[in-house]
Amino acid sequence: MSNTQDLKNLVNYGLVKAHVAMGLVFFIIVAIMGFLYSLQLDGIYPFPGIEFLSPGRVRMIHTAGAAYGFLVNMFTGLLYWAVPRFTGYRILSDALGWFMFIALQAAVLITVVSILFLGQADNVEWGETPWWLDPIIVFWLLLHLIQFGAPLYKASQRGPLYVTGWYISAMLVWTPLVVFMGNLIPRFWSVGSGAGAVQSTFIHDLVGLYVTPVAWGLMYYFVPVIMKKPMWSHGLSLLGFWGLAFFYPMNGVHHFLWSPIPMFAQYSAVFATVAVEFAVTSVLINFMMTLRGSAEQLKYNVPLRYMYTGAIFYWITCFQCAFHVTLTFQKVIHFTDWVTGHAHLIMFGTFGLWVLGMAEYIWPRLFGRETMYSKGLSEGAYWLLAIGVFAMFVDLTAGGLVQGFDWIGLNPWIDSVNFSKPFWYFRSVTGLMMLTGLLMYAVNFYKTATAGKSLSAELKSESV
Amino acid sequence: MGKMERFAFVALVAGIIFFLFADFVSWALPMFVMKDIPKKSVIDLAKEAKAKNTTAWSDFKKVATAYPESFKKLCEYEDAFTGVSKIPADKCQPNEETLAKALKVGHRWYVAEGCWNCHSQMVRPVSNETLRFGIPGVSNTVSYPSEYNNELQAPVLWGTKRVGQDLIREAAVHNLGWQAAHLYQPTSTSPGSVMPGYPWYFEEVKDPQTGKTKIVPNERGIALLTYIMWLGSWEVKPPKDFKLEAVAK
Repeated sequence: MSNTQDLKNLVNYGLVKAHVAMGLVFFIIVAIMGFLYSLQLDGIYPFPGIEFLSPGRVRMIHTAGAAYGFLVNMFTGLLYWAVPRFTGYRILSDALGWFMFIALQAAVLITVVSILFLGQADNVEWGETPWWLDPIIVFWLLLHLIQFGAPLYKASQRGPLYVTGWYISAMLVWTPLVVFMGNLIPRFWSVGSGAGAVQSTFIHDLVGLYVTPVAWGLMYYFVPVIMKKPMWSHGLSLLGFWGLAFFYPMNGVHHFLWSPIPMFAQYSAVFATVAVEFAVTSVLINFMMTLRGSAEQLKYNVPLRYMYTGAIFYWITCFQCAFHVTLTFQKVIHFTDWVTGHAHLIMFGTFGLWVLGMAEYIWPRLFGRETMYSKGLSEGAYWLLAIGVFAMFVDLTAGGLVQGFDWIGLNPWIDSVNFSKPFWYFRSVTGLMMLTGLLMYAVNFYKTATAGKSLSAELKSESV
Repeated sequence: MGKMERFAFVALVAGIIFFLFADFVSWALPMFVMKDIPKKSVIDLAKEAKAKNTTAWSDFKKVATAYPESFKKLCEYEDAFTGVSKIPADKCQPNEETLAKALKVGHRWYVAEGCWNCHSQMVRPVSNETLRFGIPGVSNTVSYPSEYNNELQAPVLWGTKRVGQDLIREAAVHNLGWQAAHLYQPTSTSPGSVMPGYPWYFEEVKDPQTGKTKIVPNERGIALLTYIMWLGSWEVKPPKDFKLEAVAK
């Protein structure tokens, strides 16, 4: 496909660079926000009594920023690289791309200002953006649909789409529907338990129908490209995609088990969630069998290692989910730090590591290099991030069990807070590890971008 | 099989049909099942509180008389985000309208501070939660759909995480003074608490008689306190052995 067109003309390098760089900036900001919030639980919050830096508001920047600032930027940047390359067609319009880039950054900044300074927030988890911003976000997502839908549609006219294409096509349709549903229906058309059912569907659908399909779509693109061999089984790819597409949208209500939502919706969510784990396992088998015979690459190839570490964390999260989604487990672990640990393992441990790995693969190539500036920084960042997030997961899971059983035991509430404190201290330490890793990664990123220019200049002068 | 790998098929079947099917099961059907539960606006809630003379109504009157200056400012408070407007001075007494305004403003700041990130508003029928939240015999029922069918629960405030206690049965648990002190400095009432203080809901005023300065909730503060004291007020029943004579003596 790509030999018919010039690769450099195919991909708009500027858009990829801009989105990925902003995504990394927001990743670091979001991590700082999370770290600050954890300091409140340790009793050493550095800005007490300041309205605009209240930990509750900072926490909303942590979650909303992770969704819109970090993930949307990163994924959009990676899509600007991957979609034209595997379809063989350019995106719809470069000008639209730049407009969308600026609009996205503006939307994130408006969200930050509204939540921190104006106190205008929505009580939808992951949809904390003020309600008047949500129609604009839906409009942005419709632009996003035509921007990436155009090359996919053209490629589909010529023949079957590659696996990545299925995931991206479905995601492009899902995301505007999900954001519209989750942010506007519970505010204007529904109240109470009905709104709760919509909100829970939204919390999970933004993960399941935006983040997961983009991320798996990109994995199906980058892993075979890096290893220079095809996926092990096309049948398993099909099974994984259609299994996810059918069962994932039904998962949402598992966030509100034992709530006043009618039980049939709760049971269907439990059933669908357990079913998703089978689809996930089929995807993981496919990836692990693809790795077979090439596993030594993990030693040298840091991007590939990020991707497989993330994939293993993904499976751990989903395996855990198949158990803790049951009504029995929910009695203990709902509302505890167990859930926080689960969320961090999937969002940081899987999707965070994946986008960092993918960015580490494309970033040097955007500047005409093969590898990042420093192997040492690259390795150091990887180990700090991977160990940090896994330690956080283990710590919060254990802390969650302590809290859950303490609550059942009807001890004074403050006991559960005091028992949690050691776990919260350790969580802050792991957060510091992850933050350090991210900063190392960012230094390496910056050096690759700046050193790349001087390197190509040297080569030019030699060849003259 | 070829069709399953085309843009139009994926977009239509996975993107739209599967999505609509799932949403039908997960929330359209539950919403349909619960469609007969009346939806209440904030003014309905305020009228109900006054008509039934719940603790929310008596606490609101207490707030208004204890902090008259802040109450006056609450009447003047305007906010485009929630759409509350000024209440003229002649109507600025504790009535349905002012209670509705206090609830609306209090709810808005409850959401804005992210209180729901650490305090849930749902008592589950498991894990001894009916014993833990509320006061046994007074207000310890499990959460049920109709108590959430109002404007202040759109979007619903169930929450997903507890660092602090559940608040949906709070009305019977603590009194107004405790709530005010706790909001200003949580460790003053709950040693070991990790909740941050919210001093910007308070202001210093000089007592004209004694000349001493004291810290009182401002207009947003009294709205927030009214909202918190409203939570669960519809569930507070007098204890079975409650006797009026004891008070009269």
